[in-house]
Amino acid sequence: MTEKLEEVKSNLQDETKTITTRKDAEQLKIKYLGRKGIVNDLMKLIPALPTEKRAAFGQRVNFLKIEIADIIDELITKVSAEVIPKIKTELFDITLPGKRPFIGKKHPITQTIDDIKEVFARLGFDVVYGPEVELEYYNFEALNIPTDHPSRTDFDTFYIRDDVLLRSQTSTVQIRIMEKQKPPIRIIAPGRVYRPDTVDARHSFMFHQVEGLFVDEGVSFADLKGVLNQFIKTYFGQNIRMRLRPSFFPFTEPSAEVDISCSICGGRGCSVCSYSGWVEILGAGMVDPNVFKAVHYDEEKYTGFAFGMGVERITMLKYGICDIRLFYENDIRFLSQF
Amino acid sequence: MKISYNWLKEYVYICLSPQELADKLTNVGLVVADIQPVEDDFCLDIEVTSNRPDCLGIIGIAREIAAAEGGNLYFPETNVGSAHVDISEFINVSVEEPILCPRYTARVVRHITVTPSPEWMQKRLKCVGLRPVNNIVDITNYVMVETGQPLHAFDLDRLAEQKIIVRKARIGEEIVAINGARRALFPDMLVIADGRRPVAIAGVMGGVETEVSGSTRNILLECAQFEQRQVRRTSRALGITSDSSYRFERGIDPEGIDRVSQRAVRLIKDCTGGEIAGGTVNIRSERHETKKIVLRMERLHKVLGVEVKRDVAIDILKKLQFNILNDVDNFIDLEVPSFRGDISREIDLIEEVARIYGYNNIPTKTSINVRGSTKNKVEVVEDTIRQFLIGLGFYEVKTFSIVDTAPLQAVNLWSDKEGIDIANPLRQEESRLRTSLLPSLINTKRYNMHHGTEQIKIFEIAKVYLAGAKLPHEKTCLSILADTDYLTLKGIVESLLFNLGIFSKCEWIIFCEPGLLRNERAARVQMDGITVGYFGEASQELRFKTVSCLTELDMDFLVEKSNFVKKYHELPQYPPVFRDLAIIVDEEVTWSSIERCITDTKTAFLKEVNFFDVYRGKQIPSGKKSIALNLLFQAIDRTLKMKRSIVLSKLSSMPSTIPLAQN
Ligand SMILES: [Zn+2]
Repeated sequence: MTEKLEEVKSNLQDETKTITTRKDAEQLKIKYLGRKGIVNDLMKLIPALPTEKRAAFGQRVNFLKIEIADIIDELITKVSAEVIPKIKTELFDITLPGKRPFIGKKHPITQTIDDIKEVFARLGFDVVYGPEVELEYYNFEALNIPTDHPSRTDFDTFYIRDDVLLRSQTSTVQIRIMEKQKPPIRIIAPGRVYRPDTVDARHSFMFHQVEGLFVDEGVSFADLKGVLNQFIKTYFGQNIRMRLRPSFFPFTEPSAEVDISCSICGGRGCSVCSYSGWVEILGAGMVDPNVFKAVHYDEEKYTGFAFGMGVERITMLKYGICDIRLFYENDIRFLSQF
Repeated sequence: MKISYNWLKEYVYICLSPQELADKLTNVGLVVADIQPVEDDFCLDIEVTSNRPDCLGIIGIAREIAAAEGGNLYFPETNVGSAHVDISEFINVSVEEPILCPRYTARVVRHITVTPSPEWMQKRLKCVGLRPVNNIVDITNYVMVETGQPLHAFDLDRLAEQKIIVRKARIGEEIVAINGARRALFPDMLVIADGRRPVAIAGVMGGVETEVSGSTRNILLECAQFEQRQVRRTSRALGITSDSSYRFERGIDPEGIDRVSQRAVRLIKDCTGGEIAGGTVNIRSERHETKKIVLRMERLHKVLGVEVKRDVAIDILKKLQFNILNDVDNFIDLEVPSFRGDISREIDLIEEVARIYGYNNIPTKTSINVRGSTKNKVEVVEDTIRQFLIGLGFYEVKTFSIVDTAPLQAVNLWSDKEGIDIANPLRQEESRLRTSLLPSLINTKRYNMHHGTEQIKIFEIAKVYLAGAKLPHEKTCLSILADTDYLTLKGIVESLLFNLGIFSKCEWIIFCEPGLLRNERAARVQMDGITVGYFGEASQELRFKTVSCLTELDMDFLVEKSNFVKKYHELPQYPPVFRDLAIIVDEEVTWSSIERCITDTKTAFLKEVNFFDVYRGKQIPSGKKSIALNLLFQAIDRTLKMKRSIVLSKLSSMPSTIPLAQN
């Protein structure tokens, strides 16, 4: 019977030589040490032995069992160890780029309008809208621009019919709001406007404006300066300076063009500011009494100011865009930059 | 208006460099667009706003500088002396249209020699961009640039019958202008005629037949006022503009005319050695009424927000040559000089004071009254939609509202009336107001395709213009173009509505718009019987390389229906029970009919009916499809057991419906 035990041991040793994986080693363990394994089979031989030999054989089988267990454990450790270098070659690279979700963008014009709305909302201005196809009256007469007046030359306009046109300025909304509402009024009106300009890098037959209007008792030119200064500092930066120049608009008096110090050159002069150090960003002024007359406001009691700015122009200045056409081409490579 | 730096210095004493001068002018509202050195002089290009014709002459600009900087004004010599022979011997002037020509003056200079003008004059004219012609023409130009008042010299001997008649043109008359342009004249145009024919278009340009030439010996110098609108209309109708029409359109100084005429003949006499005829023709239809205005100091303060002292205001107005009538109180009574036609109201004076006082010396107020402002619903809905779509990878685009008349642009989902045309388009490409945003989105997709971006997801919120009564109906739309399959974009739209708090059920009704949407894959979307929008896969005719879907939704409807009021619903205490079903139905049976059939059973505790798959193929008879769906049951007060028998019995009443498997 001893030979039998030796044979089992030598068979095991042969088998271990062919095993390279942990899985096979585990299988081997079951084959020898499992419930129906070879060692247990040996145990089953015991009752058939003469009584005096049973104890000794049992001891030897038990010893063999321990021996086999050691051999297989060693084997398991060995093959497991061999796997480790393999895992190392599959090391997780934490520097690989992340999987970015694809996010779109608001159009830069919308972003600018939102920024403008944000500043003026904090100053108590409501957002209002008006029609783009307008009666001539709202675009001209009510704004103190009489027919055949030389100032009309500054306001070339697309017409639909005799007295119906595409608004050339958002100032039309001033009149529509004042017709409906009594002071105090604080509004801004963003929207599309149209002028028959041949399209080039600086002109477009359609563009956006934001009109502002503030009417109350005791509103002064100093308030106009205060509100515009607040907007300019917030939108363009605290270090930007503001300058007002007298100008002429039929619907405001006194009228002003508002310049800001050139952010490109810091006021020293460059091609963007035509070497003047200043760039024009909006027109403004105190509401002309004739406009108040047109909407039946008491021009003695109320004063007010209005301003209008070109959204494209402001956006171009802020981001250094030099061709207005980019806004309407909608090239994704352009839109994705803002 | 171009001026010469040296020339300006003749009328006002300044010690400013050209750049400093430009800054001063800019601060009073005369923007200097450009400064160019010209030999030993500088040319300043000044933008004069249309309300300030008095600054279309160098003297006017000198006046502004004198007011802003201090310093005296110097006026040129106008003494013409006396003569023996009276002008009436040479010319007979009559004005038939006194309203269109309120003032007409003429002077005659005889025995002149037409030669080139003196070098100093030529140099100044060249500096301001005028081409020297001869001494007579150059002097009329010189005096015009100096004073802002246009003048015209006729060759006296070529005026038929020694007559000048200011009248309307007659039918059939024509004229060849000095610039060579031949124009037919119409009876609503004002002309200067001699005994036979028109010799000048009033205020616009003289005729070639009576112009001053090398052989001219005697001249008639016209210096007049023509009605602004008349000049503007005639100039536009004939397509002829000139330095003269530019100034007459804006208005000249009615009281300055005679002085300007004297200045010019004096120069002619000095430069050509001619002999000024005695007297002058001076026809005026009415006296100029000097405007009187009262400026209240309290009003000045109220409008400007700064207390300008009375003597400061008076000083400013005096320097601008207003005639101050009183010298006390909180009022300033004054007379407006005749060259300031733009000033007729108190507010105009306030602007004058503010301009010279300096806009930048007015304080910048840093506080205003409190007034609350809230976003309106349009803003809230637009913001929500933009945020939602951007998060899903959509780019917002902005495209033109004015489009061409190509067939694609004829898409009109919202109205059966034609689109609205522009009466005066610049180009055919921009001649009609659009009736849909989708063609513009398609063009944007194509543009990006040609610039290397194949896949695109874009949207626009803008108006379409539908023919209406007086003004069109401007409907705001939300349009989307996405390179996704039908169900993906449909899901986005459904989810979008959900985000806006719009929970009403949409009906998807088959819709046909060939050329835009693919047949059988397009729908009109309806909610509570109202069309919300249109949806579908892009037509193959559009030749996209990708599968794209389009939708145009009625934003006005979304704004109206959106509801952002939220209320907490208690979380269910007991778990839901799910039951999956697969049913085989005819191809024609739509999901919405199956869904309706199930919900119509009004089975208790049935909360949701969810589609999850459609299968055709092995084991499914041809012409049929297998629809897998999931039912969710839930009670608030207990855990449910089974609840499907009623549903199943209802389902089997549908056309060719066979329960296939249940779980
Ligand atoms: Zn600059």
